[in-house]
Amino acid sequence: MNARHIGLIAKKELFGLSSEKTIVFAILLQVFIAMFSSFLMVGLTTMYDPEAIEGYSTGTYGVGYVGADSPLIDEFEKHPDLVLHRMGLDAALAALRDRRVAAVVYVPDTLPDAEGPVTLTLYLIQNDLQSSVINVKLKGVLQGYEEELREVRADRRTSFPVDLKVPESSGGENFFEFVYGLLVPLLVLLPAVVSAALIIDLITEEYQRQTLETLMSTPVTFGEMVWGKVAACAVLVPVQAGAWLLLLRANGIAVDNAAAILLHASVGGLFLILLGVLVALHYRERTSAQFIFSTALVVVFLLVIAVPYNPFNLIVRLAVDTASPAHWLVLALVAAATVLLGWAATAYARRVGEAAPGAR
Amino acid sequence: MSLASSIRTIATWELNRSMTTMGRDILPLAVGLLILLVLVTVFTSSSGVHMQDGIYRIGIDDPDVARVVAPDTRFTADLADGPTLRENQFAYDILILNRVVYVADTEKGRAAAKTLERDYESYVARVAAGEPDLFAGYPLWIDLQYVRSEIDFLATQSGQQVGAPATTPVSSAPQDPVEAVTLPLAAAPLSEDDLRERVAEAGSDHPLARYTGILSTGGTGERFQTPAELSPPLPFDALVLVFVFIFPLYFTSQFFMMSVMNERVGRAGEPLLATPIRPLAIVIGKALPYFGIMLFVSAAITLFIGAPATVLLPLIPVVIFFLASALIIGMAARSFKELSFVSIFFSTLATAYLFFPTVFANTHVISIISPLTLVVLEIQGEGFTAMEYVYSTALFVTTSIILFYVGTVNFREERLFSEKSLTSRLADFISGGISRNHPHLSLFFIAAFTIPFVFMAQMMTLVLFFNFPMPLSLVLLTVSAAFIEEVAKSVGLYAVARERPGFLTVKNLLVGAVAIGSGFLVGEKLLLFATLAQITESIFGSILFSSLQVLWMPLLLHIAGVLITGTFLMVGGRRAYVPGLLVASIVHCLYNLYFLTGVLL
Repeated sequence: MNARHIGLIAKKELFGLSSEKTIVFAILLQVFIAMFSSFLMVGLTTMYDPEAIEGYSTGTYGVGYVGADSPLIDEFEKHPDLVLHRMGLDAALAALRDRRVAAVVYVPDTLPDAEGPVTLTLYLIQNDLQSSVINVKLKGVLQGYEEELREVRADRRTSFPVDLKVPESSGGENFFEFVYGLLVPLLVLLPAVVSAALIIDLITEEYQRQTLETLMSTPVTFGEMVWGKVAACAVLVPVQAGAWLLLLRANGIAVDNAAAILLHASVGGLFLILLGVLVALHYRERTSAQFIFSTALVVVFLLVIAVPYNPFNLIVRLAVDTASPAHWLVLALVAAATVLLGWAATAYARRVGEAAPGAR
Repeated sequence: MSLASSIRTIATWELNRSMTTMGRDILPLAVGLLILLVLVTVFTSSSGVHMQDGIYRIGIDDPDVARVVAPDTRFTADLADGPTLRENQFAYDILILNRVVYVADTEKGRAAAKTLERDYESYVARVAAGEPDLFAGYPLWIDLQYVRSEIDFLATQSGQQVGAPATTPVSSAPQDPVEAVTLPLAAAPLSEDDLRERVAEAGSDHPLARYTGILSTGGTGERFQTPAELSPPLPFDALVLVFVFIFPLYFTSQFFMMSVMNERVGRAGEPLLATPIRPLAIVIGKALPYFGIMLFVSAAITLFIGAPATVLLPLIPVVIFFLASALIIGMAARSFKELSFVSIFFSTLATAYLFFPTVFANTHVISIISPLTLVVLEIQGEGFTAMEYVYSTALFVTTSIILFYVGTVNFREERLFSEKSLTSRLADFISGGISRNHPHLSLFFIAAFTIPFVFMAQMMTLVLFFNFPMPLSLVLLTVSAAFIEEVAKSVGLYAVARERPGFLTVKNLLVGAVAIGSGFLVGEKLLLFATLAQITESIFGSILFSSLQVLWMPLLLHIAGVLITGTFLMVGGRRAYVPGLLVASIVHCLYNLYFLTGVLL
C-alpha cells in the first residue's frame, strides 16, 4: 500500500464529485428541507409529542355543554381559554359541524359517588388539526374532573400513590427530546449512510464502465484504488456532520461535545463504508449491490438501536452532556469492528485484484 | 413488427434479463437478510429502543418516589440522602427532596420536568389499576365521537390559519334545519372486566410504546377512554400511508432507473437501438414489467392492510409519474453517484408534494391536489367522486405523458451516449423537441407543455406558503409564482439559443415571444378549466393563474416576460440568462400586485 497512491485516488474522486456538481443537489436538498423546516418542525414534533400542539394555539375555544349540571363546569372555569356554551344536543352538534364551537361534551346525570362510572360523551371534529388542539386542552379539564371524582370515591380505595409536588409546568412546546433525542443523531449519522451509498456507486462504476483496466495499468494497485475511494468517502462524513452541527448551532441548538460526536460519526461511517465496499466488490453491479446494502443497513440499524449504550444513544448523551466515560469503550469496540472489517475488505480487494486482468 | 408485439418482446426480454442477472446472485442473500430482519425486529421489540436512554439525571431521596421514574430509561436516577444530593445539586436536572420536585432552570430541566410529569401520571394510573373497585380508581370514562365537517377553501381567505379557533359567538341559531339527535345513554354499555383488562395494559408501559405511539392513529382506538388515555387524533396519519404505499413504489422505480442507466453504461444499449424496434416500443416495453411489479406491490399492500381495491385507482397515476421521472433521470445522469443524488433529490420533492397536502385531508379542498388524499379518503370509507379523481390526478398524468414523450424522442444514440453535464443534457432533451423547419411552432408547443410542470411547482409553493399568515403568504406566493412562470417560458428559448446561437435575431425573438406567450396561455386555459376551478376562485388562484380575468392582458404579460429574458439572452449571451429571468420576474410580480390590489380594493 502506498499512501501517496491512495491520496491520489481520493483526490480524483473528490474532484469528480465537485466537477459533476452532484454536491449542488445535496446542498439544494438541504435548502429545500430547511424551507420546509418550520412545517416539519411543527409537524414532526406533533407526531412525536402530540401535546406540543397546545403551544401553537393562543385563542379561546367555544365548547358546547349539554346535559346535567356537574362539577365539570367549575373545572372549565379554571381554564379561561375554553368558553362553555350551554345548549341542546341538536343545536350543539349543528354548531360543531359549522365550526362555531370546537367540541361538545354531553354530561349524564350520574351522581359523583354513584356505584358505576361517570360516562361523558365527547364530540370532536374528525381528523382535524383543531380537534387535536382542543383534545389536549380538554384532557387537562377532564383529568382535573377525574381527580375530583377519585377524591369523592377515596373511601372505596385500598392504596394511594405517593404524593408528589410537581411545579406547574410552563406549558408550551417541548422540542428538547425531539431535537436532541432524534434529530441530532439522525442528522449526524445521515452523512455516514450517504457516504456508504456513494462508495458502492464509485466501485461498481469502475466495473460497469470497464474503466478498471485503465486504472490498473497505472502503478496503482487494486487495494490502493479501493482504499483511495474509501478515504474520499470517509472524509466527507465528518465534514457533512460538522456542517449539520454548525447549522444546528446557527438555529440556536447548542450541541455539547461536538468533537467526540464527530469521532463517533466518523468511525461509524467508516464501518458502513467498508460494509459497502464488501458488498460492491462482491456484486460489481450497482442495482444488486445497492439493494443488498440498503436491506442490510435496515437490519444493522434495527439491531443497533435495540442495544443499550449504542452509538446513537451515546451521541444523544454526548449532545446533552450526560455521557459517562464508558462511551470511549464503545467507541473502541466499534473501531475494533471497523478494523476487522477493514482487514476483510483489504484481503478481499487483494484477492479480487489478483484475479482481475491487468492488475498486479 | 407491430408496436404491440415489439413492446411485448422488449418487456419479456427486460423481465428475463433483470431476473437472471440479479436473481441468481441476490436471492440467497436477500432471503437470508429477510430472515435476519424478522429476527432483529423481534429482538428490538422485546428489548425496546435504546436511543434516549439516560438523557436526564435525577436525584431522589426516597425509594418510594424512585418507583415513579423506575420504568423510564430516559432517567438516570441517583438515590441518596438529602444533604448529599443538595451538595451536588447542579449535576442534576431534577431533584426530588421530601416529595417536592425542584427543576433546574434550563431548557433540559424543563423538558425533564415534563417527562417526569407524564411518568407520574402513568404511575398514578398504575396504582389506580390495582384497585379492587375499578370505578373508584377510574371513575370517569369518556365516550369519544367524531363528527365530520369540511370547511371550504375560500374560508381561509380571511387570514385565518388552518385550525384557527372558533371565536365567533354561538348565540346565533344554526342556519340549517337541525336534525334531531338521540341523546347518548347515561349508563353506557361498559363491561367491567374488559375495562379492567385495558387499564392493566395501559399501566404496563411497553418499552416500545413511546416510539410506536408516534404511528398509532388516535389513541387506543377503543371507544371508551379514561382522561389519561385521551390523546389527540393525529392529523398526520397520512405519513404512515406515504411510507406504506409510496416507499415501495419509489424503491421499485429505482430498478427501472438503473435499467435505463445500464443501457447507457459502456454503450450497452447500442445493439438494441440498432434493431428496427421503435424507441417508443423500447421505452414502453422496458417500463412495462416495472409498472406491473409496482401495481402488484400496491395491490399486495392494499390487500394486507385490508383497504378497498379502489385505492389502487389514485395510485396508478403516481406509479406512472414515478416511472416517467425514473426514465428521464436514468437518461440524464452522467454517473452512478449523480444518479444517486438526483434520485434522492427527486424522491424528496415527490414525497413532499404527495405528503404535505394530505395533512389537510378532510379539511381543505387543496388537499385533493395529492392523489394520496384520495387514498386516505377511500380508506376512511368516504370515497371520492370522478371529478375529484380527475382533479387530483390530471397533473400527474399530463406530466408523465410529456416526460415519456421527451424520453422517447431523445431515446437515440447521440443523446444517450454523450457525456454531458446534467443541465446541458436536459437542455438537449428540450431542444430535441424543436423542429428545424418550424421552430416557432415548436416553441408554442413547448410553452404549452410546460404548463403542467408549472402548475405542479406552483401547487407546491401554494402548499408550502399556505400555512404562513396572510400578507406574507401572498407576497411569497406572488414572487415564487412569477419566477416559476418566467423560468418555464424561457426554457424553450434558452434551448434554441444554446443549440443555434444565430437564431436570436430581433424578428425571430418577436415571433418566438408571441408563439411562447400564446402557447403558455392556451395550455394554461385548457388545464385550468378542466381541473382547478375551485382553487382559481380563491384569491390564491388569482395570483397563480392571473390570466383568468381578460385575455389580452395576460397574453401581453407573457409575451413581455419572454421578450425581456430573450433580449438579455440576445445581447448578453447565456451569461445574461439569470439576470434576464430576474428582471422578467420582477415585471411579472408588479403586474400581479397591480391586479391583486385591483381585486382587493
